[in-house]
Amino acid sequence: MTGATRSSARPVLAVERLRTEFSTKAGLAVAVDDVSFELREAETLAIVGESGSGKSVTALSILGLLPPVTARVAAGTVRFGGRDLLSLDRSQLQDVRGAQIAMIFQDPMTSLNPVLTIGRQLTEAVVRHEHLDPRAATARAVEMLARVQIPEPAWQIGRYPHQLSGGMRQRVMIAMALSCRPKVLIADEPTTALDVTVQAQILDLMSTLQEEFGTAIILITHDMGVVAEMSDRVIVMYAGRKVEEGDTVTLFDNPCHPYTRGLLKARPRITATFGPGRSRLQEIPGVVPPLTRLPPGCRFAPRCALRVEHCREQPSLDEKAPGQRAECWESHRMQAESTA
Amino acid sequence: MARYLLKRLLSAVVTIWVTTIAVVLLIHLVPGDPVKIMFAQSQSTTPEQLETVRHNLGLDRPIYEQYAIYMSRVLHGDFGHTIRGDQPILPLLLGRLPYTLALALSSLLVATVIGLGLGFLAAYKRGTALDSLCMVLAIGGVSVPVFWLGQILILVFAVRLSWFQVAGSDWRSLILPALTLGVTNAAVVARLTRSTMIDIFNQDYIRTAWAKGLPARTVLSRHALRAGLVPIVTILGLQFTYTMGGAVIVENVFSWNGIGRLAVQAIFQRDYPLIQGFILTFACLVALVSLAMDVLYAVLDPRIVHV
Amino acid sequence: MSESFPVEELPAALAPLPPAAALRPGPVRRIGSFLLRNPGGVIGATIVLCLVLSAVLAPIIAPYDPLHMGAGRRLTPPSPAHPFGTDEFGRDLLSRVIYGSRLTLQIGLIAVSISLGTGLLVGLVGGYSGGWVERILMRGTDVLFSFTDTLIALAAVAVLGPSLTNAMIAVGIAAIPYYARVTYGVVLVEKSKPYFDAAVAAGAGHLRIIFVHLLPNVIPPLIVVASLGVSAAVLAAAGLSFLGLGAQPPSPEWGAMLASGRDYFTRASWIMTFPGLAIALSVLGFNLLGDALREALDPRQRRR
Repeated sequence: MTGATRSSARPVLAVERLRTEFSTKAGLAVAVDDVSFELREAETLAIVGESGSGKSVTALSILGLLPPVTARVAAGTVRFGGRDLLSLDRSQLQDVRGAQIAMIFQDPMTSLNPVLTIGRQLTEAVVRHEHLDPRAATARAVEMLARVQIPEPAWQIGRYPHQLSGGMRQRVMIAMALSCRPKVLIADEPTTALDVTVQAQILDLMSTLQEEFGTAIILITHDMGVVAEMSDRVIVMYAGRKVEEGDTVTLFDNPCHPYTRGLLKARPRITATFGPGRSRLQEIPGVVPPLTRLPPGCRFAPRCALRVEHCREQPSLDEKAPGQRAECWESHRMQAESTA
Repeated sequence: MARYLLKRLLSAVVTIWVTTIAVVLLIHLVPGDPVKIMFAQSQSTTPEQLETVRHNLGLDRPIYEQYAIYMSRVLHGDFGHTIRGDQPILPLLLGRLPYTLALALSSLLVATVIGLGLGFLAAYKRGTALDSLCMVLAIGGVSVPVFWLGQILILVFAVRLSWFQVAGSDWRSLILPALTLGVTNAAVVARLTRSTMIDIFNQDYIRTAWAKGLPARTVLSRHALRAGLVPIVTILGLQFTYTMGGAVIVENVFSWNGIGRLAVQAIFQRDYPLIQGFILTFACLVALVSLAMDVLYAVLDPRIVHV
Repeated sequence: MSESFPVEELPAALAPLPPAAALRPGPVRRIGSFLLRNPGGVIGATIVLCLVLSAVLAPIIAPYDPLHMGAGRRLTPPSPAHPFGTDEFGRDLLSRVIYGSRLTLQIGLIAVSISLGTGLLVGLVGGYSGGWVERILMRGTDVLFSFTDTLIALAAVAVLGPSLTNAMIAVGIAAIPYYARVTYGVVLVEKSKPYFDAAVAAGAGHLRIIFVHLLPNVIPPLIVVASLGVSAAVLAAAGLSFLGLGAQPPSPEWGAMLASGRDYFTRASWIMTFPGLAIALSVLGFNLLGDALREALDPRQRRR
């Protein structure tokens, strides 16, 4: 569970009006369109959405990890430590990556280099950023492995990624990411490639370490269950835009955007499918539009049961409730219906 | 690891063994009478002389006997004698072999340095003008016939400019042939390296390395190059066999005294025993190099060893 | 909580987009449009087309008979009467180069047909049969592969004797392992897919499985290999001819022309320049085309 809402109001990371474009064969695709959010100290912010919503691209844009020729950040700023990350040059960015902002990825098998030992991959970051000598670096590596609850860490140092299980590999990724005690950890679908039982363990681990190290986490996921369990605040993205944001508890109780509500309703629930009065899984009809051929106005409108003529004009991000904002003209109607 | 190497060794032995069978069968695949064909160019050979040759070569015996005779001779180091000049074959081949090896290795060096460099650069700068330039050069290099390039280089550098010599036996005469073979080879290596490295640069673990804030030289060397070593070594191993093949042609263009030149002469003269000896030697050499490559893989790729 | 919401009349602009499948053109259109956007492919296709035209129209466009000695004076440099000059027998080089294109195409087609046909058969039978048939066939292919093309070609020519036909056969045989391996690889991949078991379980006969399921998947990679294979075959056969082991004089095959021009090339460099250029250009054309085809047909390399 998330525990008490972290009350520190200081943002550690502030993304303002980020816009990332991809040149594809079908034309220009805007993967991230005018997205802004803040990440506060030691809090967990979830970015949730379907595949193709732009959540991973947002994370990659922050750290400058986009593929070089096809993608570029067209506009926006990313304020961190008093600087705009997007304006830094190569070596300045390298100082930030790993040491101040770390990232872990979805598939731990492909994200670890198969020809290097675990120990080597663990020590490189600390050697690079904190200039530790090999002995101290190895000691730190062993310590981190112990912290992520890997048994016999001193022996595992010499092993290779393919010799470990999926869950252990992800723990190694976490250990690698946190070895330099970064202020921010970006976790891109950290549990998607893992078994369900292992998922719970990894999420637990992340929470524990967050409390120990005071790291702020951006958690990217498509799983609303993970969002509920881990995050303090949530951003919902659709087709490259942020359509809703707010405090997790209130957003789950009272979503202000039809897409959010659709996501929440799409979760399978025991009571709904078994027993008397079982109903079908609620799905959101239609598909996400291709980013090169977006409809004018609200992007979700073609799939939205509440659409009206006004939806042809892009809704603005309005505060619908204290701390909760959404891009929808018809939120009031949705909420009126839900309380009816 | 031991099991893996044992399997590879067995593979090499089987290949060589099959070669010996093929070599013995070869003479019988010749349309017509091989002995007559062998002596077709010499003026007067009596039928008795032909019979003697036939008997010496064991061609009047049944096939399996021929094979047994041939194998026992070979295992004693006797590859027979050439039809023309009656020289013992094995010493002849072994005497010329170092020249071919010198050519192959020096051209492989040229090809590796130029090819790997170009390919790596093109992959790293994928999609830019530099990449396109490298690839245009590479595809040009692949399309140029080796023998034509050789002649042109001779014309320009040896005849017109007199910078280099040809048709000698020392290292100075090796320069042009090695360059010729090396450049065409480099083009192949560059293309293969580029596609291999592009695959690797797209891998998630390279992205992880960047995300850790490692400097470019570390990511390129410790992560990308190291991960690419196995496929690159495969490429280079294949290039050795390719080079050996190219050496045959290049030796003839530059009159370089290796076994390739010998082989072509043998084919012209229908000197079957010599041809057989050449094939066997060549195949053994290639098998040995392949085995060496396999050992190298085991060293480089932990996934093979630490199963 | 009420489950239904008022659904308004759909304004035309908000009508849903057509299903994704209808937006993707078929493979032929994709190849076509890709080739258009890929300059290398276009250049390659143009060169190949020129080669084919030159071969087909040779009797019409060649100014002289390629075998006619004394069409001009011996060893004259390029001039309006003889744009490529004349060779040591006074034959017009341009005509010989043009007629040589016929041989080049022949070599490419015949050699690749041999390799493709045999390799396809071996790979299909080996991959599909399984058991000891598979083991023998594929082990045999591996052994053949380890011999290197050069050695096989040389051995074949040694056995059969030097001639252009034998060179074509030799080169064809030498390349069989490539096609066999590619086919085998595809068959293995398809066999591991669930639909394969389903087809067998549904009672599909061997022929049906081979023709309906395996063949369509085998063809695209084979097209790529074949296109690059033509260029390799042309180079190899020219090499053999250059060594004197392939086409024999007075044949206007380009490799043989290079061989006979060797003795004169210091005085008359054009004798080697033009045939060599012809070989290089033709091989370049097939290589460019093969590369473009590979990008168009290889599912892995296609971007979103």
